Amino acid sequence: MRATRIAPFVALAVAVVLAGLFLVLLGSDPSDGETAETNLLDRPAPDVRGVLDDGTPFQLSRRKGDWVVLNFFQSSCIPCQQEHPELVRFVEAQQARPDGARFYTVVYDDTRENVEEFFASEGGDWPIVYDEGGSIAVAFGVAKVPETWIIDPGGIVRFRAISTVNADLLGNTLQQLRERFG
Amino acid sequence: MNTRALKRWPGWVLLVIVVAGFLAVGATRDSGPSTPAERAASIEKRLACPTCDGESVYDSRSTAAENLRRQIRAYVDEGELTDEEIIGTIEQAFGARVLLVPRATGLDALAWALPAAALVCAAAGLTVTFRRWRREAALAQGPTDEDRELVAAALSQEDAAPPADPAP
Repeated sequence: MRATRIAPFVALAVAVVLAGLFLVLLGSDPSDGETAETNLLDRPAPDVRGVLDDGTPFQLSRRKGDWVVLNFFQSSCIPCQQEHPELVRFVEAQQARPDGARFYTVVYDDTRENVEEFFASEGGDWPIVYDEGGSIAVAFGVAKVPETWIIDPGGIVRFRAISTVNADLLGNTLQQLRERFG
Repeated sequence: MNTRALKRWPGWVLLVIVVAGFLAVGATRDSGPSTPAERAASIEKRLACPTCDGESVYDSRSTAAENLRRQIRAYVDEGELTDEEIIGTIEQAFGARVLLVPRATGLDALAWALPAAALVCAAAGLTVTFRRWRREAALAQGPTDEDRELVAAALSQEDAAPPADPAP
């Protein structure tokens, strides 16, 4: 008898909790499956610094005015190796455009010798940023490679891909972002 | 003389206990990091390694944790950010999953509130259930000897009382 009286209250409490969870899910930002989650999305990219392969300093904030693509890379990482031909294709397509994006490889926990050897054998003619000390990876929250980020001409983060990308996905995403953000 | 001494000793014992207590607290109390390395270590212990399960940045030997340790030491050496600001900067990049201890605000507060709510509900449920069991057990046993004596006493008083006058 008492259990019968308590049951509706228990059911009501469970219903309230479930309704709350439903509202939380409803209010959350729906992922369109195109970009990986990051707090940096639609916010200014960290003003990171590194050293380019030719020894000159690299500072991300000085690349404003162009679309910038950063690809975090390690020569011994198998997905990075698999992704590389697609990146070559993407960069060639961008270099053919007058407003093509600037592409940079950011070396993650690797030696200059290994990276140079890899690029010499696999191809790829674009600037390589050496992230000495890992400060660029920490600033972008990168813990595993490969990762690819797109930053708009205003220096705002617009896209993050965890794991491998291909030339078509990257090209189409960049085109959509150009149409949306100019 | 002896009586006076006896009257005084509880005061001395109390004083010794208080002093011993203060010494114990003073000796074991964490007064916070005193060097930059200790400060960096205390921050590293509050952050989770992003690529391993259940390990702090301080304990992990992974590349990601090593990068974070290096960056934390750089922030500490710069001396411009507080501990909370350093952790907030890293949380901004890596997300809340990098916090070993969830914050007590927003949705993260559920991590604290839900176990407490579950504990309160469980305690309330057990109290109600135990009371019901006790009451049911008492009913199942029937009246006690004490109950019988009370009833018998009440009945005997009723029998002994003079009959009331009939109403006119």
